[in-house]
Amino acid sequence: MKFSINKSPKEIAGYTNWRKKLILMILGGSLGILGVSLVCLNFGVVSIHPKDILFTLWNSSQDKTKGLIVWQLRAPRIIMATLTGAALSTVGGAFQGILRNPLADPYILGVSAGAALGACIGIALQHTTGYYLASYLPLFAFLGAMFSLYLVYRSSKISFSVNSTGLLLAGVAITFLFSALITVLLALSKRELHSMIFWIMGDLSTANWEKISIISLPVIIGCLLLFFSSLDLNALSLGEEEALHLGINTGKLRIRIFLISSIIIATVVSFTGIIGFVGLIIPHIARLLIGPDHRIMLPTSAFLGAIFLILCDALARTIIAPSEIPIGAITALVGAPLFIYLLRRRNK
Amino acid sequence: MSFHSHILTIKGVSFSYNGHREILSDINFSLSKGELLGIIGPNGSGKTTLLKVISGILKPNKGNIFLLNQDLNNFSIEKIAKFISVVPQDTWVTFNFKAKEVVFMGRLPYISRLKGETLEDYRISREAMKKTQSLPLSENNIQEISGGERQRVFMAKALAQTPQLLLLDEFTSHLDLNFSYEMLNLLKKALKEENLTIISVFHDLNLASIASHRLILLNEGKIEKIGTPQEVLNVENLQKVYKVKPILINHPNLQVPQIIM
Repeated sequence: MKFSINKSPKEIAGYTNWRKKLILMILGGSLGILGVSLVCLNFGVVSIHPKDILFTLWNSSQDKTKGLIVWQLRAPRIIMATLTGAALSTVGGAFQGILRNPLADPYILGVSAGAALGACIGIALQHTTGYYLASYLPLFAFLGAMFSLYLVYRSSKISFSVNSTGLLLAGVAITFLFSALITVLLALSKRELHSMIFWIMGDLSTANWEKISIISLPVIIGCLLLFFSSLDLNALSLGEEEALHLGINTGKLRIRIFLISSIIIATVVSFTGIIGFVGLIIPHIARLLIGPDHRIMLPTSAFLGAIFLILCDALARTIIAPSEIPIGAITALVGAPLFIYLLRRRNK
Repeated sequence: MSFHSHILTIKGVSFSYNGHREILSDINFSLSKGELLGIIGPNGSGKTTLLKVISGILKPNKGNIFLLNQDLNNFSIEKIAKFISVVPQDTWVTFNFKAKEVVFMGRLPYISRLKGETLEDYRISREAMKKTQSLPLSENNIQEISGGERQRVFMAKALAQTPQLLLLDEFTSHLDLNFSYEMLNLLKKALKEENLTIISVFHDLNLASIASHRLILLNEGKIEKIGTPQEVLNVENLQKVYKVKPILINHPNLQVPQIIM
């Protein structure tokens, strides 16, 4: 049956009309992103009057420099933050659901460590060989992420049948191994240290329209595909066997979720580096606000994650301007206390 | 009481994990529509494993299972879910859903992931909550109610799945006396009115004796005895399987055996 937003009731046979809730949430979330974006366009090294910014948004030909700053520097960064925040949070929520573990995050299968190692190898190669590889770093990172996924999948298959625990343990092991290799690379290199650290802690400063056009498709399609598994993720909350009893092929579901998520994350991480904590806490906050139903929780996570990352990025580029703090440091600094506060409030 | 067609037939079923010690060996029985079959036996005798083999979660190493005269191997788990529902022993839920949302999950086998649910799915869920007296719990968070209340909610979920065969794994283990009694009445009503057939694992032999038309007594993965409560629950059988000598009396109203220590 069809529901229209005005006619449709808040409840159907005692059940919350989730479609109505979802539409309202999307409207609210979109307004939130728009509002936060407009505010954050004002932050930056060069101060531009808010009036000028609005003016530039309407008509970019007026002032070349201001137009350039707003359209080529700040706007791409905000859109990159939106996509990245949404992707990390949706995947975090889906991982927590599929692994039945509220402590799971998008990097738990070692994708991040693989991507970081790939990028660091690229940086080190550039330094030792003298070839200019900077624009290929995303490719290095993506290959690294895929390689780590392959290793995780293979090693979990050897020791355990491909179940959640096996994948988790293999993910942890591969992450440790790759982190150790990164540390070795860091110790060997000196000059490139700074760019590597920005990689490991996440960086949105290199955002441009080309990168946005590359990541937007996998992120948007991937998140939509995850969204259509919401009911299955809900059922998995009752336990593996219960989900089977409800006719859900949990093995296939797990592979589907892991594959889609890993492609999303590998793509995003390849351009932004490892931005931690977002994918862990945002789904929790979404669940506290709106309940555990993945049909609403996943989209809510996407919107909250986007807003959170836009704000964190604005902080990252303004706190010690003209220098920048890696955004991963900001997400953890802001996110951890916020998370503890929410948990405390919930327990009261 | 007369039973007509067989809803479930089990022929020579054996099961072991990766070729280790057999947990079930050579199980044979048939189940008629409208019957309530109780499974009893000591811990580790294979009761829960037998349920899992019937629900299709575990594949038997030998033998065949026929659901409505068709080999269970021909059923996908999506299809099995429309015939069989299960009330598990472990009712923990990872995330804090409302009780009514858990009941609604019983409708998942019928819901298209693209088109979504219909009004009917909500009505059936609500009806199932009424039947199991879990409607007052519907707005409660599932992690914040007692084990017995969770079992009632899971029972509602299993009924919302509108199965033909209902499998229960010690569903009364956390229920108070009054609710155990009411659940039994509910099940007996469901047997008659909803064309339901039930297999239930019982830990409590007295309850099994009162509730079941027939009993299976399992011992180390084999059927020790199958028959009416009067045929199964006697001193000889119980002593052999449970290694203690019980005292049996006749229930004054129901005329079924009851065990006292």
